[in-house]
Amino acid sequence: MELSMTAKKSFAEFTLATEFTVTGSRVGVFGVSGSGKSTLVSMLAGTVTPDTGEIILDGDCLFSSSRGINLRPDQRRIAMVFQQHSLFSHLSVKNNLLYGFKRCREEHRTIDFNVLVEVLQLEDILCRDVTNLSGGEKQRVALGRAIMANPRLLLMDEPLSALDDSLRFQIIPYLKSVSINFGIPYLFISHSLVEMRLMVDNVLFFEKGTLIEQSSSEQLARNRMGQSPVGYINILELSSMTERNGLCVYRWQGGELLLSQANSATSSGLFELSSKDIILFKKHPEAISARNLLQCNVVNLFESGTKMGVELECNTGRLIAEIVPDAARELDIVMGSVVHAAIKASAFRRLATTQAAS
Amino acid sequence: MFLTGSDIQSIWLTAKLASVVTVILLIVGTPIAWWLARTKSWLKGPLGAVVALPLVLPPSVLGFYLLLAMGPNGPVGHLTRALGIGALPFTFWGLVIASVFYSLPFMVQPLQNTFESIGDHPLEVAATLGASPLDAFFTVALPLARPGFLTASIMTFAHTVGEFGVVLMIGGNIPGVSRVASVQIYDHVEALEYSQAHSMAAVMMIFFFLVLLGLYVWRPSALKMSRRD
Repeated sequence: MELSMTAKKSFAEFTLATEFTVTGSRVGVFGVSGSGKSTLVSMLAGTVTPDTGEIILDGDCLFSSSRGINLRPDQRRIAMVFQQHSLFSHLSVKNNLLYGFKRCREEHRTIDFNVLVEVLQLEDILCRDVTNLSGGEKQRVALGRAIMANPRLLLMDEPLSALDDSLRFQIIPYLKSVSINFGIPYLFISHSLVEMRLMVDNVLFFEKGTLIEQSSSEQLARNRMGQSPVGYINILELSSMTERNGLCVYRWQGGELLLSQANSATSSGLFELSSKDIILFKKHPEAISARNLLQCNVVNLFESGTKMGVELECNTGRLIAEIVPDAARELDIVMGSVVHAAIKASAFRRLATTQAAS
Repeated sequence: MFLTGSDIQSIWLTAKLASVVTVILLIVGTPIAWWLARTKSWLKGPLGAVVALPLVLPPSVLGFYLLLAMGPNGPVGHLTRALGIGALPFTFWGLVIASVFYSLPFMVQPLQNTFESIGDHPLEVAATLGASPLDAFFTVALPLARPGFLTASIMTFAHTVGEFGVVLMIGGNIPGVSRVASVQIYDHVEALEYSQAHSMAAVMMIFFFLVLLGLYVWRPSALKMSRRD
């Protein structure tokens, strides 16, 4: 997908002005509430008309103020998944799924209904009324409905924001299936950097209606580390949990990590660890209360605001720790140095179980 | 039997009139309500006021102007005569036209409220799934507005059944043509036939009670249906 957009849209107290070209099948739009993300996707979908500008998708002009072109939303082949599932309450699950498919031209129909139902695990609810579904089921149906419309681009406008934490990360693999299983490029909108890193490769970062940065999701997370109250979030896939001395021991990248007892119900899954929760030592400490002490190599150093990020190689895994420049000098941390990273067992937070996310 | 043949004839005529008016207003009122619910034009206020006018206007005023318009010297009268239809006053179809104007707000306003409560979002969703505006209207807006259509149809039907002033002005009191139930009661009272007036009035009372009962019993479930999502 290649999307080129030059657009300006003014409201009473807000103006969105942007110009970018982005390629790739997994693109993100990141920004806090009120940064113009939803206006941007609405202009792409055609439900909001820019004051001026031009929108070109894969060589086709969707909007051009100078040439007087403005395709209606139904002529753009751009489907959308919304924050609220927005299912049609008068239709069953199956008829919701087929709504866009029935309106799709024969030559564009590439999605197999049965495959979709299998990938999104909708077999058991096909005949049900959409009003009786759980939040996660509704969002899967909404996603399936958008995919079945066989769009050339799928816009996902904060599709996880209405879900609670436990559901959010269970839905992500389904969202990723849009690109992986069905080959449809998507534009994922979110104010969560963790979601961005799990969902997309390239990110457009908006602030107050202006494009601030265009980079990879990983680079954006590193650049924002110094300004974020939660620092950089390390995402770790842990497996093969066993219990030892009241703690949970997980396998991670050839080594092991000790997590608190609260995780005992999860045998394997995705966990997050803030860069602020990693303490670095120049020498091996004699005694320490943190249950994880890892010997690591410093493979990269980067600045982020007033903070310094230290990329560590521990066994075969990578972690990013956050320190202030003074600490870096005192510890004499340079590329290639060996440090010891201490992490409390309670510092990890479960995002999703691997079983549900598979 | 406590109702005479003339009474039954007037009830039948009333039911026929109310049914025809309801069907016509469903066809005419729906686009007006849709436009009023979605437009941002300055004309929304003036047109909304015109639609609501019969709610506050004395029926005799409305009837008077309609009589002038449909009379032999009125613009509508000229037109109908040119078309070979003849004069409309004191005919069943004259009564229908007058009733359409008189009951217009009872169809348009509930529908407008329903369309406004549905909002733009379901239609935008349908559009991103490839539905044209007309397609989205018929496949999304209309089904979602079902409770509003039922309310509006019942209100319109009941209001037409209860008409008196406009009917008398436009239709007069011709048996089988324009003598509807309310005029029949008036006729009985004028002739001091109180027992017949009682019978007809009782029928009307029971009818309107049942209509309101139906609306009140049905409405909570209808509201629940429209809000459950």
